Amino acid sequence: MDGLDGSNAILQQEQEQQSLNPKDWIAVDPQNAWDLLHEERSLMTRLTTSCADLDDILGGGISCKQVTEIGGVPGIGKTQLGIQLAVNVQMPSYCGGLGGKAIYIDTEGSFMGERAQEIAEACVEDISEYKRFLHKDSQACQGEIQGKDVLENIYFFRICSYTEQIALINYLEEFISDHKDVKIVIIDSVAFHFRQGFEDLALRTRILGEMALKLVKLAKMCNLAVVLLNQVTTRYMEGSFQLSFSLGDSWSRCCTNRIILYWNRNERYAYIDKSPYLRPAAAPYSVTGRGIRNSAPHCKRSKLI
Amino acid sequence: MSQIQSDPSTHNNLRPAFMTPQKLLPVEKCTLGCPILDCCMGGGIPCNSITEIVAESGSGKTQLCLQLSLRAQLPPFLGGLSASSLYLYTEFPFPTRRLHQLSSALQCQYPQIFVSNYDPCDGIFLQSVNTADQLLDIMPQVESFLENSKTLLPVRVIVIDSMAALFRAEFENTASDLIRRSSLFFKISGKLKEFAKRFNLVVLVTNQVMDVVDSGEGVNEVRIGNLSGMYSSGRRVCPALGLSWANCVNSRLFLSKDEYESGLVGGGESGFLSRETRRRLHVVFAPHLPDLSCEFVIRREGVVGVNR
Repeated sequence: MDGLDGSNAILQQEQEQQSLNPKDWIAVDPQNAWDLLHEERSLMTRLTTSCADLDDILGGGISCKQVTEIGGVPGIGKTQLGIQLAVNVQMPSYCGGLGGKAIYIDTEGSFMGERAQEIAEACVEDISEYKRFLHKDSQACQGEIQGKDVLENIYFFRICSYTEQIALINYLEEFISDHKDVKIVIIDSVAFHFRQGFEDLALRTRILGEMALKLVKLAKMCNLAVVLLNQVTTRYMEGSFQLSFSLGDSWSRCCTNRIILYWNRNERYAYIDKSPYLRPAAAPYSVTGRGIRNSAPHCKRSKLI
Repeated sequence: MSQIQSDPSTHNNLRPAFMTPQKLLPVEKCTLGCPILDCCMGGGIPCNSITEIVAESGSGKTQLCLQLSLRAQLPPFLGGLSASSLYLYTEFPFPTRRLHQLSSALQCQYPQIFVSNYDPCDGIFLQSVNTADQLLDIMPQVESFLENSKTLLPVRVIVIDSMAALFRAEFENTASDLIRRSSLFFKISGKLKEFAKRFNLVVLVTNQVMDVVDSGEGVNEVRIGNLSGMYSSGRRVCPALGLSWANCVNSRLFLSKDEYESGLVGGGESGFLSRETRRRLHVVFAPHLPDLSCEFVIRREGVVGVNR
């Protein structure tokens, strides 16, 4: 099994690189509860998903400094949400963005340049409309972002094997220290290369655990959002087949927040499955030509009001 | 180990290269040979991506695959890739007669491109595959074929017709076999995606459908994609190979066919019911496409979309 040799080599390499000082492995210095509360209030900046209903249940959007896992069946809109977030992060904060850049790690080849451009252009249009709404008199919008600039600000990595994926995750910290304006890291999807016949499941769990730890640390230290898109599988539980996230339970324990995307009749829904701060709740959303938006019936309702 | 050695720059220096999505534009696409179908697909079948066609037998899957393999040889200004194709087939016999028919139709359409002694069939390389393991085994050969192709046109299309047939026989419905099966899916898909990226290939695979037995509250039924239910020939169907495989493709198309009675022909008592088949192509899911569908017919000269 060449795959196993490869991963052992990577692990050895990692172990050599690891510093022996345990302090480096603790993500943050000890804090008291007051510090935590303060941090929560002041630093928990949120990134909009462009769907108001979804933002509402998320307490404003995807949270910074945390790892958020998003899963769903193929075609539910995981990649669409990923691209939307990579675009939105560049928007100014009064539009719900973070005024930063994005790292997009594509492991599946589903990122389409033309789709990213569509979403970026729609987003830029929305912003200039919003600006015109804010300052009705001043027509001159200076420093306007263009659709193509938005694409320039996405650092795109295409990954073709799990060894490459591990290598990239290890390199991210250094990359981000050179590109301090990165505010979001999106991996689409974390699972794909780890489902290609790992015979040694314990080894897989260990590699994934270390990867998750690094991402948690990265989110905290660099004050950025980490969004992991994941596939779902059917699993036989308690006498029936149920949908569950791939890569197993030990992996999902590493993620702070977890959102499940699913179909409810003909509408797409997002459900908060796990979060330290938020209540479990569901909200409909839709995938439109312009990107992720509120579900259509809700738009109509708000227009009537 | 082979993966590590294949690309030393990535692993030894730990400096993976990034690019901006601007570099991914425009996305190269290969025409299906009909403006209406191409329009439904946003310009054709995209390179650097796996596209799957799901349909019951006799719906036109193979026809579309043959048509794409032939059209790929057209120059880019006619929607092609100026490329030849590798056609991996699992079902016997390979439809040689139909290929020749489509090929001569193409020659007639573009006599200026295909000059007298060039036969478009020469740009399609055939290989039969019987099992999933065999497909995985020939991947190194496929790779070297793509790398040092001595062909007139570079190979930029891989067709696998059909994926479902590879998995038909040897897998039992036991937990261990299901795990082995899904790990094979991901291995095959991982390799195909790697080739698709390295050589900027169109990868087109076909898949069959299964009847949905327990309709309604069926526990095994997971909705995937735009269609709340797939219907073909009046039956409720779902793609073969299940959810795991659905995670392995980038885009999925569904071809449906439905027969209906179009009325009495001839009139009077001697009249008989004429039956017509209506076929539609649906986008089930695709990262770059909205929920679209269009009607098509299968003619002697190929698969053609119709506006109704």
